[in-house]
Amino acid sequence: MYELLWNGMVDLFQVKYMLPLLIGTVAGVFGGALPGVTITMTIIIVLPFTFGLDPLQGLAAMTGVYVGGSAGGLVTATLLGIPGTPSSVATTFDGFPMAKKGEAGRALWLGVWGSFLGGMIGGVFLIAATGPLAQFAVAFGPWEFFSLFILALSMVAGLVGASLLKGFLSGAIGLVITVLGNDPVMGQPRLTFGIQFLEGGVPFLPVLIGVFAFAQIMSDVERMGGAGKMAEAVDRAVKLTVSHLKVIWEILSRPFLLLWASFIGVVIGVLPAVGGSAANMMAYDQAKKFSRHPERFGTGTPEGIVASESANNANVGGSLVTIMAFGIPGDAVTAVMLGALTIHGIQSGPLFISQNPQIAYGIFAAYLLAHPIMALVIALGARFMLRVVTVPKAALFPVVLVLCVIGAYALSNTMSSVYILLIFGLLGYAMVKFGLPLAPLILGVILGDQIETNLIRAIMTDSDLWQFVLRPISGALLAMSVGSVILALWQHRRAEKRGATGEGERADF
Amino acid sequence: MSRSIRAIALCAAALAASFSAPGWAQPKYPHSTVTLVTHSSPGGGSDVFLRELVKYLGPTMGVNFAVENVRGGSGARAVAKVAQAPADGSMFYATTPTYIQTTLLSKPDFGYTNLDPVLIVFLDPEVVYTRADSPFKTLADAVAYARQNPGKAKWGAANPASLERIALEKLKRIAGVQAAVVSHEGGGELMINVLNGTLDIGIGEIQEIRSQLDAKQVRILATLTDKRLDRLPEVSTAKEQGIDLTVTKFRGLAGPKGVPAEIVSAWEQAMKKVLADPAYKKEYERENLIPTLMAGAKAAAFTDAFVREVTASLKEFGLIK
Repeated sequence: MYELLWNGMVDLFQVKYMLPLLIGTVAGVFGGALPGVTITMTIIIVLPFTFGLDPLQGLAAMTGVYVGGSAGGLVTATLLGIPGTPSSVATTFDGFPMAKKGEAGRALWLGVWGSFLGGMIGGVFLIAATGPLAQFAVAFGPWEFFSLFILALSMVAGLVGASLLKGFLSGAIGLVITVLGNDPVMGQPRLTFGIQFLEGGVPFLPVLIGVFAFAQIMSDVERMGGAGKMAEAVDRAVKLTVSHLKVIWEILSRPFLLLWASFIGVVIGVLPAVGGSAANMMAYDQAKKFSRHPERFGTGTPEGIVASESANNANVGGSLVTIMAFGIPGDAVTAVMLGALTIHGIQSGPLFISQNPQIAYGIFAAYLLAHPIMALVIALGARFMLRVVTVPKAALFPVVLVLCVIGAYALSNTMSSVYILLIFGLLGYAMVKFGLPLAPLILGVILGDQIETNLIRAIMTDSDLWQFVLRPISGALLAMSVGSVILALWQHRRAEKRGATGEGERADF
Repeated sequence: MSRSIRAIALCAAALAASFSAPGWAQPKYPHSTVTLVTHSSPGGGSDVFLRELVKYLGPTMGVNFAVENVRGGSGARAVAKVAQAPADGSMFYATTPTYIQTTLLSKPDFGYTNLDPVLIVFLDPEVVYTRADSPFKTLADAVAYARQNPGKAKWGAANPASLERIALEKLKRIAGVQAAVVSHEGGGELMINVLNGTLDIGIGEIQEIRSQLDAKQVRILATLTDKRLDRLPEVSTAKEQGIDLTVTKFRGLAGPKGVPAEIVSAWEQAMKKVLADPAYKKEYERENLIPTLMAGAKAAAFTDAFVREVTASLKEFGLIK
């Protein structure tokens, strides 16, 4: 394994891989730093540029975007108090107060080194756990895969903030979308109404782009009323240089905080459906609960910044585990990476690592190398990023939108993807209007096909339906699904009793 | 994006030109990008075939190839897509017997009759395999187990309406045994279920099982060919094991109805060159593919004969009337 990792590192140091990784990381950091542009949008924009590259070049670029984006949000979060992505919302709570107190450099670098160290902890988990988990997953028959996908779907219950019913409705719409078109086993048309356009079914990437770029931008545009809100006046001459050793020591002297926040990030990353936007909030919440001085939170305490930022980067490592070992995307960003794998003709799933060791270990190496690059990019570019942020949204959003449409077109070189993007963009926008969460929809679209084919296959193999419950792994996974729904219902109940405490918006799932 | 593709295409064209320069001036293929559609999932048989092929075909034809995996409906989705494309040589479908079976069995709106066979490139030997720690050493062992444990044996094939599925049904009849025949979407998913013991045996082409074969995770029980394969002399044929089962799988390309003759001949010329390329030869011989180049009318005649044969055996099993 170490030899493979070493080879992966040596591979990555070639210019042909280093360059896409570097460009991807820079794009990620800037995309992450720009409020209104999510990591998902950034990776969608990068995707078509990777088609002409070899698979590892493309994946190195995308890994760079993911790592860079998860950290990039902290620049604007700490210095301007505006989270660049939903993954850095909690960073604003203490980062901005600290910066206002005149310690802008310290706030920024606590975030950067917190991201770096959290990411490294996530990386250790990624490299150590992916192989064994994939080995474990090879033992999964159709029953186990069915139950695993059901478990992933049951996470929807925990995702929905305000209304449980609306969340389920959104997930159900997603599942119905996967039924459209010819059925996967016998090729009988379903819900096509004789329209040929629908016969091929609805591929998930254009849907994802429509929902997570088009609908998102439309509602953002509406919220700001057309005119770009200028960033708050900050002292642009502010000193950002700090003693890095001192900052790193400040983090390392709280090993429990770092490990716990990173652990939360990894676990949330591994779980399908919940992503970085949940990780940073939860880690912040935990840090506050465990702190001896919870009253200092929100006034510029270093713990808050470190918890939030280490969690959202550790989350990246966790998400990559799920996609590499099981082929299940943990969030919208990895869903795009899964699409990229498919486009390059690489089969995801439990055999991925054993069949493509060069690519798998290349991704590990890219993940590790993206972290120092990210720190370097922020060191050199932080001041420049503050200027980029002042670009009016009225100019920025159309550009992002056009790039997303081009991305959709490039997926299959047909207009049908663009139409699907527009239709689902409008659907997504309507859903936002009606207060329906979008994450369950996309999860339904991603998982629906898999649930169906594995169900059919299991029944073809053995007509005894009790197998789903009696096979130990399958039974345990189903029990966990039931448990996760019950837990969510219970939490929901409790939250309702306590009054609407309104959870942070999870736009980036 | 488009600029980089154009740059790649230009490089490829330049490369192709430099190779064929001394001979005759080959007319330029009318499209800079050609889409090849397969029904197989990434990593499945047709997918691997196309992706290997275009590595050599791209420079030879001066064309940038895009391989599209249009999955679902046992090939019906992919066939429908190509059948509705313009017949100008810009889009082809990677044929295997699957598209004929699907047409006969599911009667989708678009079937093999809506496509023109352009090329038959390879015949692809089929093998029956199992996981390395399975008790079975030969296909005869697996059949004997199915005979002693009626209803317990579980056999897997890639696509629901594939030639392999029919072969397994045939095997059940020849041997007079009962077994569940489970279909999958592509060879990769089938492999997982053979490896984890959900299935006793799987049937497929050698290129689909190559990485597991090299890693000694699977064992070939029998080849379904007339004689032993040159590269696997130690594996006996099903016939030698007393089971009279042979399967002819072909690999080729078909286009929308009415592909112009000059396009067909451009493909035939290019394919001839590519098949003679020592580097590609090494690749396909390693996969035990048997080059059998037929173009245009010959490919159509081959396909017609195949259709007659399959129709006969489907009727025999009562699957169609």
